[in-house]
Formats: sequence, C-alpha cells, structure tokens
Amino acid sequence: MDFASNLFSAGTLSQILVGLSRTTILFIVSSGMSLILGVLRIPNVAHGSLYMIGAFAAWSVIQFLGGGLFAFLAAMIVAPMIVAAVGFVLERGFFSYLYEREHLMLLLLTFSFALILGDLVKIVWGPEYRSVTVPAFFQGSAEIFGLPLPWYNLFLLLIGPCIAVFLWLVINRTNLGKIARAAAVDGEMVGAVGINTGWIFAFTFVLGSFLAGLGGALIAPMVNISLGMDHSLIMETFLIVIIGGLGNMWGALLGSLIFGLTQSLGILVWPQFGIAFPYLAVVAVLVVRPRGLLSSTW
Amino acid sequence: MKKAVSILAVAVTMFWGTGSGIAGETIKVGFVDTYTGPATTFTNDVLDGFKMAAEKINEKGGVLGKKITYVTRDDKFKPDIGLTMAKELVLKENVDLLVGTINSATALAVSDLCKKEKIPFLVTFSKSDKITGSMGHRYVFSMNENTEMAGRATAKALAKKPYVKYWIAGDDYEYGHAIANGVFDHLKTLNPKVQLLGQSWWKVGETDFTPYITQILAAKPDFVIVATGGGGMVNFQKAAQSTGFNKKVPFYQHTAIELSTLSPQGPNAPEGVYGTANYLFYFPATKENKAFVEEFRKAYNRYPKSGALYGYMTARFIAKSYEKAGKIDKEKFIDAMEGMTLDSPVGKMEMRACDHQVTLPMFFGVTKKSAQYDFLTATDVVSVPGKDYMPSCAEIAKTRAK
Amino acid sequence: MRRSAAPFLLLLLPVALLALPQVLPRFHTYVAAIVLLTALLATSLNLAIGYTGLYQFGHAVFYGVGAYGTALTLTRSGMPAPVAFLVGPLAAAALSLVMGLICIRLSKLYFGMLQISLGSLVWAVVYRWYSFTGGDDGIHGIPLPDAIASPKGSYYWTLAVTALCVFAMYRIVRSPFGKVIQGIRDNPVRAEAIGVDVKMHQLASLVIAGFFGGVAGSLFVVVESSVFPDMMFWTFSLEVLIMCLLGGMYTFFGPLVGASVIVLLRVFASVHTQYWGIILGTILTLVIIFLPDGVLGVFVRRSRPREVPGA
Repeated sequence: MDFASNLFSAGTLSQILVGLSRTTILFIVSSGMSLILGVLRIPNVAHGSLYMIGAFAAWSVIQFLGGGLFAFLAAMIVAPMIVAAVGFVLERGFFSYLYEREHLMLLLLTFSFALILGDLVKIVWGPEYRSVTVPAFFQGSAEIFGLPLPWYNLFLLLIGPCIAVFLWLVINRTNLGKIARAAAVDGEMVGAVGINTGWIFAFTFVLGSFLAGLGGALIAPMVNISLGMDHSLIMETFLIVIIGGLGNMWGALLGSLIFGLTQSLGILVWPQFGIAFPYLAVVAVLVVRPRGLLSSTW
Repeated sequence: MKKAVSILAVAVTMFWGTGSGIAGETIKVGFVDTYTGPATTFTNDVLDGFKMAAEKINEKGGVLGKKITYVTRDDKFKPDIGLTMAKELVLKENVDLLVGTINSATALAVSDLCKKEKIPFLVTFSKSDKITGSMGHRYVFSMNENTEMAGRATAKALAKKPYVKYWIAGDDYEYGHAIANGVFDHLKTLNPKVQLLGQSWWKVGETDFTPYITQILAAKPDFVIVATGGGGMVNFQKAAQSTGFNKKVPFYQHTAIELSTLSPQGPNAPEGVYGTANYLFYFPATKENKAFVEEFRKAYNRYPKSGALYGYMTARFIAKSYEKAGKIDKEKFIDAMEGMTLDSPVGKMEMRACDHQVTLPMFFGVTKKSAQYDFLTATDVVSVPGKDYMPSCAEIAKTRAK
Repeated sequence: MRRSAAPFLLLLLPVALLALPQVLPRFHTYVAAIVLLTALLATSLNLAIGYTGLYQFGHAVFYGVGAYGTALTLTRSGMPAPVAFLVGPLAAAALSLVMGLICIRLSKLYFGMLQISLGSLVWAVVYRWYSFTGGDDGIHGIPLPDAIASPKGSYYWTLAVTALCVFAMYRIVRSPFGKVIQGIRDNPVRAEAIGVDVKMHQLASLVIAGFFGGVAGSLFVVVESSVFPDMMFWTFSLEVLIMCLLGGMYTFFGPLVGASVIVLLRVFASVHTQYWGIILGTILTLVIIFLPDGVLGVFVRRSRPREVPGA
C-alpha cells in the first residue's frame, strides 16, 4: 500500500470526518464514565450495560411510537432517561452505602451489576437481534470530496460539540456542577460546609448514566442491537478516561479524539492493523504521561 | 476454620449432583450450542427444526421403538465452556451422540473430544472447513456447508461475470479470512485475469464501517468480497445502505440473501447485494419445501431459516441411521450414516462417506425488494448442486494426510 | 488460623483429594482438576494483588501465554513433554518481567489499565497469527504423554503440581521477602525510606505471579488438551480477580475458595439455567455488601491495611 499517497488524498479528509463522528459516541459515553470515576471514585464496569440498555430502550420507544423522525427524537430523550432512572436506583440503593469501601470492591460491585443487568436485558428483550432504522430524514449520504458521508454521521458530528458545550456549562457554570467538582477533589470539606454530598453523588451518577444511555440510543440506528454490546465499548471507554485524565471532561474529549482519529487514519496507513492503533496510542500516552494527558481530580 | 471446612463440604456436596439419564430407554441427543447473545437467532432455528422432525418421528413410534429425547447446554459462545458442557453431556448425562455448535473453535475442540471418547458428533452451523477437512475423522459429521464449499460455489458464479479488479474486506477472524480466501483463490484458478487491489480487515463486532467504505471506494474496485460473520452481516448492510455503497460497487457476502440477514432490516435492506445461502424458504418452490415451511410456521409462527433446515435434517439422519443400523450402537450408527441419502426440502441430501460432509445445494442470488414480503428476497437465484462445489474425496484425503 | 481445627483440616483434605477420582464419576474428576488449576491461578494473582498491592488487571495473559507456550512446544517442536511444561511458565514469567518493566512506573489504576492494554496487544497477536497459533480457532488435540492424558492421570498430575506450587507460594509469602512486599503494599513511602528497593521487589513479585499463572496455563493444556485465545482475554482476567476478591484477598487460601466457588457455580449453574449471570451477580453483590473481606475473610482475623484517607 502506498502510504504517502494515501495520507494526502481526499480520502484522508473524509476519514477524518468519519473519525470525528465516531468520536462523538465515544465522548458521550466516556464523559459519563469520567464523571462517575472522577467524582465518585467508582470504576463503573456496568457503564457498558447502561449503554446497552440505552440502545434497547431506544428500540422499544421507536417501536411503541411507530417509527419516523418524531419517534426517533423522542427515543433520544426517553431512552437516556430510562437509563438515568436505572442509575438512580443503583446509586441510591447500593452505592450510597458503600462509598467508604475500597476501589477494588466497588469495581467488583459494578461488575456484579453488569452481570445482572446483562441478564435482565435478555429477560426483558429476549435474545434476538433488534434493529432500528435510521429515520428517513437522515437516510442517504452527502458527498464530501467525492466520497460518501452518511447524513447520520454528520448529525453525530454536530451533536457531539453541542453535548460537550452543554456538559461544560453544567459542570462549570451551574452551582450543582461546581459543588460536584469540589466534592470530587475533597468530599469531606464539602460535607463539612453543610452541603448534602449524598444528593450530589446521586446527581453525578444519574448524569453519568444518562450519558451512557444517550450514547447507546444514538448508536442504535447504526448497529445491530444485541446482547454483548456491553462488552464492546467498555474497554475503549476505560482507556479513554485513563489517558484523558480521570474526572476531566476535556480529557474525555481528547481521549475520544485520539481513539476515533487514530483508528480511522490507521486504516489508511495500515489497513490490516488499523484496529491496533488506538491501543498503541494508549500505551504511548501512558508511558510518557502516566497520569493521563490532562489533570485528573484524583 | 470449621466453618471454612463446612463451606468446602457444601461445595463438595454440590458435586454429587443428580446424574440423570435412564440409559437405553430413549435415544438421548446432547446439544451443545450458544443460547446466549447474538448467535441465538441462528441456533434457536437449529433446535426448533430438530424438535419439529423429532416430534414427528416420535409420534410414529420413534426409532427402533425408542423415543428421541434431547438435552441442551449453553456454551455462551466460549470454547472452554463449550468443551466443559460437552464433557458433561458425554461423561455425566451419557448421551448417545452430540449435536452443535455455531462456534467453530468449540466445534473443533468438541470434535477432538468425540474422537477420544468414540462418540458421534454432528456439527450444525459451524462453518470451518477444518471440521470435515484437515481435522476430520470417523466420529465427526457436518450437517451444513463450510467456508471452502461456499468459496468454491461463489467462485463458480463470479467467474462467469465480467469483474476483474477485486477488493477483499471482512471481519478479522478465522471465518472471515477463510471465506475471503476460499472465494478469491478459487476464482483466480477459474479466471486468471482477476486481480486483488487490496484488503481491509476490521475487528469482529465493528459498528462503524464508514471509514473502510470510503477507503474502498477511493480505490475503485469492480467488485468487493465482504467476509462478515453472523453478527456483522446486518451492520455492514446498514452501512452499505446509508452510504449508498451497494449502488456504487457490487459486493458479495456469504449469507447476504438469508432471511436472518434481511428480515431484521425490513424494507430498508440494500438492494443489489450478491449472496449465497443454503436455504431460502421461497426457493425452490417445490412441494417439499412448501410443506416444510408450512409445518414450521404452524409450529413456531415464523419462517424457517437455514438453521431450521440443518436441525430438521439432523434429526432425520439420526433416525434413519439408527434404523438402518438395527440397534443403538455408536459404531454401527456411523457405518449406517455413511453414504446415506435422504429427501429434504431442498432436494436430495447425501452424507458423503469419505469425509462425513453432507452434500446440499448452494443458492446464489441478488437482493431485491419484494412485493410480497416486508423484507427483501433474492432474485436471479442460481442453484449450484453440491457435487459441483465440494472438494473431492481425494483432495480431502490429501489435507488430512498433512 | 484457629489451631484446634487445623490438624483436622490438614488430615481430611489431602485424603479427600487423593481419593476423589476413585470415588466420583469421570466428569466430576475433570471438574475437580479444573477447580485445582483455577485455584492455582487465583492464588498466583493474589500474590500480586493481595500481597503486593498491585492492581494486576491483566493476569489472564500469563495464564494464556503459559498455556500457549506449552501447547506450541508440544505440537510444533519435537521436544519432550517435561520441556514443554517448563517453556510455558518460563515464557509467562519472561512476559511478566517485560510488562512489569513497562508498567511498574505507574501506580494503582493506571498500572492496571496499562497492563490490560499491553495484554490486549498480546491477545491480538495470538488471535491474528493464525498460521502459528491457530488464531481464534485455538489449538486442539494436543498430544500428551499417556500417563497424564486420561481424566484420572490428568487429575493426579494437576493435583501434584498445584499442591507443590501452592506450597511454594505459601513459603514465599511467609518468608522475609513476603514480609517486605506486604510492607510495600501497606506503605510504600515508608518502605522506601528504610532502604527497601520497592521497584525491584514489586518486579520480583510480578515475575513470580506470572510464572505460577503460566503453570496454571500448562495444567489447562493437560486437562483439556486444547488452548483458546479467550484464555488471555481481559474478561477472564476480571473473572480471576473476582475469585480473589470473593474468597478474601488478604488471606492466603481465600483465592482458592473463591476459585472453587466460581468454577463449581459456573459448571453446575450453566447446566441448569441460562441465566447464570444474574445468579453470579447476585451472589457477588451479597458477598460485597455483607462480607467485605470476602468469604474467608469472615473467619480470619483482619490483617488488611487501612487505606490512607484522601489517597
């Protein structure tokens, strides 16, 4: 394969755009995990399960409302809310009692929930594949430099920054966000000042779960919705959060960019091993900057 | 410490689980297959097809006066669990024979176990050509096509077409490479003019094919061989539909025209996709096929897919082989099944004696919207008879000798 | 341990283990062998995680490399079996050293994640190198010496090797080296201050853990005469980790108990239900909430370190 000519062709620009649209989903899901990890110190292995529930829930909502653009948009809001509700139950019902435990035990607990949620999805929705079609509004593709970019990918490209901005506003401009950030750094102090950290933690976990569900709902039209989705994203999400810096939103964005772009460009450079590039990038980052690229809250 | 001992004691008593199996009064078939996760859409059909045939046989008095019964074990698509479950069925449940599994690695491991234990193993759905090829032996039988066969059948069909510049893409695992190589290598021998421009391989379970699709389009091939496995079929077709890939460049996938691939997408599946399949419920529109479809729909309220054919014929081969053998004996069963020919919904199926591979027709067609159904179906269907695309007994003997 | 019960246990268990294949059906002998080698694997992991305090999240790769090393030697080189049984664990130990050198600069979660990434690269190589490792099909029908090929033979071999290795690890943990690594686990800063070479000890511990993990892998080859790339996948690493946590990370025999429970549960629950995920998840949740030190931790006096608040 002629590397050089591949790198500087119109295909490259197209690949970059595609990589960016993939970044959106990665960012949405990892920002949720980063929040939970940074503020609550919980490595949430169940995050993948929440993502999967988001996809299945989106399918159910669209089925219920009969398809079409309205159903799709409704699913984008309702499905994450369902997942947020699940998160609320998990946090209030279990995590809130166990924060003083060691991280490893919390990780183990989230793993148990991942197992339970995985089987619950099987019980509720059954083992068959589900499929959500892209709403007619988004079908087909645009021609960018002579190569197709599906309208849905473009939609994701635009949604990504919107969500990033929205999250930034919530975390940096609202009181709730500021308190959550403070609690991440020093929970005891925040409690000492008289703020009920319990509800802060609940809010954070619910927001993180909402984001996971949103990621799942957004990706639903592009993939086979099946059991096993929970495993597909969890490793990438963890790695993104680690290289970005724990609890750091911009870190999650940076990590997602690295992942999305190294993979789509890696395919141009070395088609057979494109899948290895993000992992190599992770190793490189951790060797050079062990604490992650941006500051972490730990 | 006493408490720790008692915990261990409880664990040990769990060991003495009830060993069921009143041996000898029934023909006990052990299923090891994946009943968790995405593969279930295929394996459920195998089991349902089997059940349908077995129930009919039992109603008529069973085989040699005994009823066919079955037990299932879920391997969760993991070979180590599959091997353990197979051992449980053979060593504890005392099954008469094993049937399964969709995971090729598991099938090969279980095949090896059955060789050691001298118990017949009928493989359903796994498509590795090693099963009856280089790693085949007396105790393993394949009830469906494998990658080598699919490759040859497709190569035959493609050799007649005018395409010269090919691109290969697919899921980066054994099955993907086997299908792609199977098709292209044979195509090259049939039509030496074809060239391979390049290859793209993505991880199994990939969801976003757009970067690969754009890369392939930039290279401008005449035709693309897309080697996706069960889970990737729908994902890739969705991506093809949304990027218009199918309209820009013709491509082929094994099982692209199967119901399992087309039905979840409803009317939005891509048209013009070439594919091969072992079973189509609407073709051939023979009496036997229609009767089979009718029976299946009545029993299970859905159209049968390939798995149903495999399961159905597995039960019938089992029954007829025991009948011919005259007694419940594993060795006589194997001898009886070798060379047996049975009628099936797709015509005659023969269990080839030299390699224990079943011969069945392969259908090659193109997807197209259907007026009758709310999913796409195949048109321009060409039926390639089994003997035209199976490796010869001599070739098999050569691969096994290595 | 309470001394009064110890002699009772010491007599009963070996007798039961030795008599097992004579009394139980073949399938149970096979399951027992799997329990033993998994217990060895879990104990080896605990060396790194419970005793040295390293977040060893990618342990399965050593198990897999040990197994593949043994399998490839048996199928591809002409070397006799004893060589194969050494090649596997040594390869695992070597890999552990290399990975350790890369990861040791990081701490806690970062160490674990880097280890997983590196382990995933190893997995990817094994998975794709079809011509050499059999790719995702794995390797099957591995030839074994007759004496250990049968279910009874493989069981006794597994029992002997496991007992030997567990004993060895027990001695290591009780030795001065063992005390030092526990000191490092509890307070690395203080250990450094009194002149202990922290990194060297951690590396040594990793290599030993990797070696014994590799031994467990070679035992898998003996029992199953197959290997699969999933053996080194990160989800299995997590399963082994859970065995340690379930049984009690700060006791020596905890991982053994955890491994036994999980393997037995997996085999017998899978036979009866397809929802074993919920069963295992629920049991784990209950154990975490009510038995914070794992199953065995309830019986053994707590000797675990207190976490420094805010760390």
